[in-house]
Amino acid sequence: MPDWAGPVARYILEEGLPGTLRVSAIAVVGSALIGIVFGTLLTIRFWPLRALLRGYVEIFRGLPILVTVFIVYFGLPAITPQLRFGPLDAAAIALVVWGSAQVAEATRGAVQSIPHEQHEAASALGFGWVGRHRAVILPQALRRLLPPFVSLLVNIVQNSTLAQAIGGIELLQAAKSQSERLTFYPPAGIGEIHAFEIFAGVMVLFFLISFPLTRLAALLERRLI
Amino acid sequence: MLLATYDLSAFVSENWRELLDGLLNTLKVSAIAIAGALVIGLVLGAARAHRIPVVSQLTAVYVEIVRNTPILVQIFMIFFALPQFGITFNQFTVAWLSVMIWGGAFNSENFRAGFGAVSYRYREAAYALGFTPLRTFLNVTLPIGGRIALPSSINTYISVVKNTSLMYVIGYEELTTTAINISNLTLETLEALTVLGVVYLTIVWSLSAAIRLLETRLALPEAR
Repeated sequence: MPDWAGPVARYILEEGLPGTLRVSAIAVVGSALIGIVFGTLLTIRFWPLRALLRGYVEIFRGLPILVTVFIVYFGLPAITPQLRFGPLDAAAIALVVWGSAQVAEATRGAVQSIPHEQHEAASALGFGWVGRHRAVILPQALRRLLPPFVSLLVNIVQNSTLAQAIGGIELLQAAKSQSERLTFYPPAGIGEIHAFEIFAGVMVLFFLISFPLTRLAALLERRLI
Repeated sequence: MLLATYDLSAFVSENWRELLDGLLNTLKVSAIAIAGALVIGLVLGAARAHRIPVVSQLTAVYVEIVRNTPILVQIFMIFFALPQFGITFNQFTVAWLSVMIWGGAFNSENFRAGFGAVSYRYREAAYALGFTPLRTFLNVTLPIGGRIALPSSINTYISVVKNTSLMYVIGYEELTTTAINISNLTLETLEALTVLGVVYLTIVWSLSAAIRLLETRLALPEAR
């Protein structure tokens, strides 16, 4: 290992990795909670709410995620200054919006794949709409959601790099700033270019996170269907 | 506060030339990348489906690397890291090249699945009629498997178009970069975001509608 590698790796792992993990964690939890509620509500008969949610899903699945990031980071503060977020939070919110639209569509499909007799049997046992979905429909539907959910996790971890575009310090931005620092003359840097080694390292790191998860998603797909 | 001054028509009439140039760049990059991804997908998808030695394994490695790393890191690799070895591209080349490499990987999976779904009895019938393996592929596997793979490959092209927005990070003046740059100068943030939203949703929704249309029109007779 060359001398420069240690401090670079330490900076990327200590400053960058927490940013990536924080954005990913918020995005995964938020997407799952909001997406499952929205997706279940997409199956109800009250059409105005259904149309509203359909619009949400189609818009945020259709937009490039970077545009959604800009809407949160630049657009919301332009409407009211209270909605000003830091780059990492803005990226996390944008990924929640995008991810919840993805989860909602998958949940709708999963809920509708549960045979109608299940709804009728639950109703006959005296369950209301909420109880029926919580105790009977969703536990079955969530099983089918597992493979797409693992894929979503991979996508969210990868898309957390979008925070870089608005200056959030996550893995990619940390790598970029370190590779720029090394090109400076001492004492700040060493006056050498090591962009390839550094970005390749980040690539390997993402691969090590993503590859087992994509394998798991493929495995779950085969086992559950 | 800025809502009171929101004026979309003024924004568009003052900046339509730049925005149009940006849109044309987005479409140009997308068109090159989609054409390239189609060729990559057809060739490597066929190699994977027919388990052609070496090519098939190399394709698998290529697909796994692209699928399991963020496209933004791939763009950085091409734009910031390759110059270290004297390989420099201008922003336009990086733009179409990076999304083409990305789309090609996903497309070779689409076509691998499509070609793999063509029943072996069709190919056996072609061999029985004296077709060579290449003629069998061109006359039997490609038309049938290509139709099976078409919807999922169009989905990949939709993602390719959306991913061209990432060229913002290398400063290539496609639609997103153009609109954000204008809004940085004029502070017409909401107008710029509206334009972005309307244009991208128009493109994406049109392509999605095309998929639904093609799915019914091109469905194999057996599947109807």
